[in-house]
Amino acid sequence: MDALVSKYAHSSASPLDSSEGFSQAGFDAAQQFALPMFDIPMVSNPIDFLRAHTDPSAENRIRIQHGTTTLAFKFQGGIVVAVDSRASGGSYIASQTVKKVIEINPYLLGTMAGGAADCQYWERELGRRCRLYELRNKERISVAAASKILSNMVYDYKGMGLSMGTMITGWDKTGPALYYVDSDGSRLKGERFSVGSGSTFAYGVLDTGYDFDMSVDDAIALGKRSIYHACHRDAYSGGSVNVFHVKESGWEFKGNFDFDKLHWDYQAQPKGQIV
Amino acid sequence: METLFGITGKDFVIAAYDTKAVASITMMKIGEDKSRNLNDHSVMLYSGEPGDGVHFAEYIERNVKLNGIRHGLEMSPKAVASFARRELADSLRSRKPYSVNLLIAGYDVKKDTPALYWMDHLASSAEVPFAAHGYGAYYCLSMMDRYHRPDITEEEGIKLLKMCINELRTRMILNMPDFVAKVVTKEGIRVVQL
Amino acid sequence: MAGSYDRALTIFSPDGHLFQVDYALEAVRKGSCVVGVRGKDVVVLGVEKKSVLKLQDDRTVKKICMLDDHVCLAFAGLSADARVLVNKARIECQSHRLTVEDAVSIEYITRHIAGVQQKYTQSGGVRPFGISTLIMGFDSDKVPKLYQTDPSGVYSAWKANAIGRSSKTVREFLEKNYKEDMTRDETVKLAIKSLLEVVQTGAKNIEIALMGEDAKIQRLELSEVEKVVAEIEAENEKEKEKAKPSQQQ
Repeated sequence: MDALVSKYAHSSASPLDSSEGFSQAGFDAAQQFALPMFDIPMVSNPIDFLRAHTDPSAENRIRIQHGTTTLAFKFQGGIVVAVDSRASGGSYIASQTVKKVIEINPYLLGTMAGGAADCQYWERELGRRCRLYELRNKERISVAAASKILSNMVYDYKGMGLSMGTMITGWDKTGPALYYVDSDGSRLKGERFSVGSGSTFAYGVLDTGYDFDMSVDDAIALGKRSIYHACHRDAYSGGSVNVFHVKESGWEFKGNFDFDKLHWDYQAQPKGQIV
Repeated sequence: METLFGITGKDFVIAAYDTKAVASITMMKIGEDKSRNLNDHSVMLYSGEPGDGVHFAEYIERNVKLNGIRHGLEMSPKAVASFARRELADSLRSRKPYSVNLLIAGYDVKKDTPALYWMDHLASSAEVPFAAHGYGAYYCLSMMDRYHRPDITEEEGIKLLKMCINELRTRMILNMPDFVAKVVTKEGIRVVQL
Repeated sequence: MAGSYDRALTIFSPDGHLFQVDYALEAVRKGSCVVGVRGKDVVVLGVEKKSVLKLQDDRTVKKICMLDDHVCLAFAGLSADARVLVNKARIECQSHRLTVEDAVSIEYITRHIAGVQQKYTQSGGVRPFGISTLIMGFDSDKVPKLYQTDPSGVYSAWKANAIGRSSKTVREFLEKNYKEDMTRDETVKLAIKSLLEVVQTGAKNIEIALMGEDAKIQRLELSEVEKVVAEIEAENEKEKEKAKPSQQQ
């Protein structure tokens, strides 16, 4: 492995006992699950390198795509995941048709906020490891374990410019599970999360309209509406809304809803009741 | 604005943490566990850089556990604190140091005494009768100076803790929703909702 | 002829044998006997304890090792080799918890141990571990598990098995007397009974560890083992007496 990587590798990623002279051990979870597989740029300081190339004053600036609204919440019927589809670099809208829900496998979903490339790369890597886990252990990986693997991987690159805020959701032996994982190394288990520049707007609608006992249709409608309102207020969110429902048999795609159409549909409807 | 508290008494230590998890201006979660039980008689509370706390605490937790299994003996709170301090000090001199503040609360079963260690992210460690981390410390250390006695009972300890939390609720700009306390005694660790 | 293969470390002989592995298995056969028996909601490991010398501290001789809260390993063969392997396994148990939050499954840690043993049959400058192991424990599914590994790196699951000295005799005894869904007491009894096939000196040379559904390791006190041994002896007496009159007829 790249010498640089081992230099950066934190003690949590290396085997617990360094006094163990022999590295002949067979399959080692710490190695297999924690150490990332890609190289760091061959420069003396990767952090400065990244900063120099993304800084607004840089000559040929790389604009990392940011700006998103994503949400996921648990309810009686499982989990609803809803996201927008806009990719922007600064004030430029790069795409209105981004898939921000990453299908890791038929039982696991990841959402994408922050650096699009970071999320896509690391969640694909996560998918690979989850599949390997499944083959090795003859059972599907738990959402807790999957999210922990992702968290450990990105934590190894902490402070080196990774930018991702993601929610890992799925259904395992313990039922539905929802985790928030970000590139700081935070990993939170929870009932209700929203991530991205429009998350505050989404939270407002989501928190007030939320009820654990709501029906599947109501939950999907709430997820859709929360993203719509975030898209309306947040310049960096928009395009269309993608909705997924996670249930015992795996996730199901519930549709893509164009923001413009939603806007006029909702305009025609009366305002929500104040309770 | 994380806050940790620790109070020792005659035959117990109380360690308390707020349960907020924050990402920039958003409260992502209430009810986050900011502690790890290292063995039956010691618990570690952490605050600081997001991510670092959990990773460091779990790393220490697993190593303490490994030590326990290898030797069939429980590490004393002092041993645990020394080990954690050393790991933190070593990491401090690496390219990417852990940035965590710690409280280690334990009960030394052999010496039959409670123990509380305060440790900051620069790995300075001290055994103290009471301690606090975070902005809360600026309000509450004086209160503990004023009201703490070494022979305090558990009930009084919880009361003192509640006084501290009330002070935070009246004076701190950010709201302090929930605190959870872990009480360590000879019998082990138990959780008290405040 | 064979001598020349001995000098190199594990390489094939023309007839497809790895002599070093065969010799390691021989070391296992010389080791004291270990049995493992699975009951309905319990697993038991029993070992034949060598008598300690008069001035020796018997607490320092341990043949049943805890790997993690819910996993236990007993071995037959070279105990110094076992120490190294057990250490690796213990690290892996904690490492697994650290990286994927869950505790290891019994099969996982068995596979890991067998993997290490296999590596030592295929690497330069090393010799195989001179031990076979029996690993017991409970996964989250609350079903008792019992696995065996050997120096070649083969691993397999068992209802009941024996390794070490006279393991063949003991295994045959287990095959004859094993019943499905045994209770805790029956399982312990079968383990001790099968050990008594090879242990002449009785209770004081038997060490028993068991695990119930709570997945906590329990070690039986000498007095408890003695009680079971006495029970077995009484039963044997009775059977002998029953057998006698029939012989006279």
